[in-house]
Amino acid sequence: MSIVTDAAAARPAAEVKVPGLGLFAGGLTALLVVLVGAPLLMIVLMSLRTGFPGEGGPLTLANFAAVYSNPGTYKVLANTLLFASGTVLVTLVFAVPLVWLLMRTDLPFKGTIYVLMTVGILIPVFLRTIAWILLLSPRIGLVNQWARQLFGLEQPLLSLYNIPGMAFIQGVSFVPSAFFMLAAAYRTMDPALEEAAYTSGVSKLQTFLRINVPITLPAIAGVMVYLFMTAIAVFEVPAIIGFPARILVLSALIFTSTNPPTGLPNYGLAGAYGAVMLAAGLILAYFYVRLVQHGKKYTVITGRGYRPREIALGRWKWPGLAFALLYLSMEVFIPFLVLVWVSLLPHLQLPTAEAFAQVSLDNYAHIFDHVGALPFINTAILMFAVPTATMVLSVLISWVVVRTNLSFRGSLDTLAFLPHAIPGILLAVGLAYLGLAYRTYFPVYGTIAIIAIAHTITWIAYGTRTTNGVMIQVHRELEEAGKVSGASTATVLGRIVLPLIAAGIFNSWIWISMLSYREVTMALALGTRKNLVISTVVWQFWGNGWVPQVAALGVILVLFALLVVGGLKLGFGRLGEWQH
Amino acid sequence: MIKISGLKKWFDTPRGRVEALRGIDLEIAEKEFCVLLGPSGCGKTTTLRCVAGLERPDAGELEIAGQIVNSPARRVYVPTEKRDIGMVFQSYAIWPHMNVFQNVAFPLVRGRKRFGRELVAEKVRRALHLVQLDGLEDRPATDLSGGQQQRVAMARAMVTEPKILLMDEPLSNLDARLREQMRVELRKITRAVGVTTLYVTHDQAEALSLGDRVCVMHGGEILQIAPPDEVYARPANLFVAEFVGEMNFIKGKLAAGCIECALGALRLPVPVPATAGAVTLAIRPEHVKVDSLDGSSNSLVGTIASKNYLGDAALLEVEVNGVTLLAKLPGDTDIAVGQKAFVTLPPERWRVFAE
Repeated sequence: MSIVTDAAAARPAAEVKVPGLGLFAGGLTALLVVLVGAPLLMIVLMSLRTGFPGEGGPLTLANFAAVYSNPGTYKVLANTLLFASGTVLVTLVFAVPLVWLLMRTDLPFKGTIYVLMTVGILIPVFLRTIAWILLLSPRIGLVNQWARQLFGLEQPLLSLYNIPGMAFIQGVSFVPSAFFMLAAAYRTMDPALEEAAYTSGVSKLQTFLRINVPITLPAIAGVMVYLFMTAIAVFEVPAIIGFPARILVLSALIFTSTNPPTGLPNYGLAGAYGAVMLAAGLILAYFYVRLVQHGKKYTVITGRGYRPREIALGRWKWPGLAFALLYLSMEVFIPFLVLVWVSLLPHLQLPTAEAFAQVSLDNYAHIFDHVGALPFINTAILMFAVPTATMVLSVLISWVVVRTNLSFRGSLDTLAFLPHAIPGILLAVGLAYLGLAYRTYFPVYGTIAIIAIAHTITWIAYGTRTTNGVMIQVHRELEEAGKVSGASTATVLGRIVLPLIAAGIFNSWIWISMLSYREVTMALALGTRKNLVISTVVWQFWGNGWVPQVAALGVILVLFALLVVGGLKLGFGRLGEWQH
Repeated sequence: MIKISGLKKWFDTPRGRVEALRGIDLEIAEKEFCVLLGPSGCGKTTTLRCVAGLERPDAGELEIAGQIVNSPARRVYVPTEKRDIGMVFQSYAIWPHMNVFQNVAFPLVRGRKRFGRELVAEKVRRALHLVQLDGLEDRPATDLSGGQQQRVAMARAMVTEPKILLMDEPLSNLDARLREQMRVELRKITRAVGVTTLYVTHDQAEALSLGDRVCVMHGGEILQIAPPDEVYARPANLFVAEFVGEMNFIKGKLAAGCIECALGALRLPVPVPATAGAVTLAIRPEHVKVDSLDGSSNSLVGTIASKNYLGDAALLEVEVNGVTLLAKLPGDTDIAVGQKAFVTLPPERWRVFAE
């Protein structure tokens, strides 16, 4: 998730003195400046140039003029804002009650619901979107087909092809992230703050309104800003639902400018659109950081960690459970069941006796012929290279930030957090431009390496947040006790520090590996025929209208993710627990 | 004022039932300051939270000012917000989004009894004066020191002039010097207001100096309820003796008319447990007399094994007949390590406990 830690501020008096430290840390900072700065510079550069990447020519404002004199642009901006606001609304409507139900009440099956929320993150957004289209598309959607047969309706019963439909799917997909961010805020809230109100003679409702809500308000506002910032940049839902419905948002415009279905790519226009998105992203990120810091003032160190009394739901238990199930159905069960059903049939049809007679595993049997070996190999490369590179960089950065007293360690921490504010689609387009315009210096365009680089830059923000946290937990005195015992620096690192941080780092490694596995936006924007990965193959199949194959590959994609995470949870569950 | 009878509470865990309270009986008179003392997990906080209504007991009855506020058998439960109480929490629980005035005024503005603006301002002013925070009304809660937060919490708990004040380890988050200051002040304030107080602590010095009565708890039960001097002088059993203050313990055996132990057969003018067999003898270090010169006929000869100089006092370890006794002497004693000395143990100072 996205918790900003002021790791640099937490340990002002660090005293690691290693010869050449300054040089090493300087080199690390320079590397990070290049990794994060170069794609951003490219966005600015391409917005100021016309023609193909690498053609040079004078800098011009022609792209901006072209974009912002076009009334269509303002329609797109309005769509983007509507879509983003709607998304935030949908997410909060589900996430806030869920947090309250799971963190403060005696709702049954809390543990299971918690696990299923995590599972939801592993179902890629584009697969969930596709599954919902298969249900609610006005023409082919199963629900609408069924409604036509049953009631003889002329018009579709429900359609997703509009901004509320897009916001609904995107909002449902954001709920787990919002839930985990808000749950953290609830956990750090001292239950005595509520109890002090009760003992003051204040009713439960008044306590909720005057104490709980104002105290968690900074956290809710932080989540809203974070979601809004992410929603203006997402690409999967706007592409899958928006394109066919002719509802364009900024991210879709940026993508089509660089990957047009016909004609030549226009990086200049993409840059001009991207500049707005980048500016909005950075401003929102600034507010987000401010809100998170403001919220921290409200966290109180509790005395004894008394287990807060759970609110007894009584007869409201079942409606509460129904609400959680309704959400989980929309997020996990329904999309997955639709994909499974469709993957077993030669073509999309309602579950009738006739359809059941045609059920077979044919689509699975032939999937390898359609896909080939390359996407699997490429995906495997991503799943190992990206988390490894990210975690190595994160450990080094966190070590400098947490364990040294170099003057620029704070800036290094901010720099590592910056990719969080850069929309993935912009990062990818910037890198693509870099690879095309300067291919002699940066010969990676069209290879799997450029996707790996894009992923690594993006997840350094997440990686360093975890490694900062892990390193702060390892108290300096544990290291010093090792040195006092006569162990060398290398022995202390290998025998004391590494075993202590290993579990935390391993968990992040797995998580980043899974994020890289399901990522599609950057892989598409940087994609050519040579660097296909499984997620982009599903996307292509969908573009070709191979619905059963999409479903079969989607089911395989989800099952593999469940297998990996479930297996590791069983095998390494204790390793992770021990960390906390 | 508060009457607790047969209070029981248990938690069902996967490893079976855990009994947090095994039947607590306690009556607290009006204006009394009663301290619940015990190690962590003894049930003292659970008892307090039951009185507050923040925890619901599984059996027993709770009465506040003659009104039953909780009785599972009679299906009576008065919720926390309807009970006439004030409470100070260990973490102070100062609401971070309000300033000092808003924190203290909250019970008057949103609580059981509501008051007009001017009366609220007057009551808040008086409460803040009581805790010596005059003039800090507009300070944001997040800009207060630990000691100031503690005082705001006190003012907020007392501002409604409740019949009962509940305090849950209120001084444990303060540093040592401030804690002693606040201890004295707390006693003055509660005396001045004359509120019935139930106070939870694990610190025996706090319990002895604050309480009109101290109630020592262990394993969900009350072991002794008595005024502080009695708890110290006559611990009801071995656990209380071990928990409150320092004591020397020696194993012994009840014999006809005397007790046999490593120090010889002792005839003691103190109560002895009725059960025959093994007993434990106990005596406080300040009652062990050590002298280098004149020993009486009752003295034993010992060797000084160690000396721990504390300034106002010195703690000596004396070996007598293979038993190590701790003795507390004035700090300026010239008895040195290694020397022989006469040890006198006044028979009336011994306490005898069943095993």
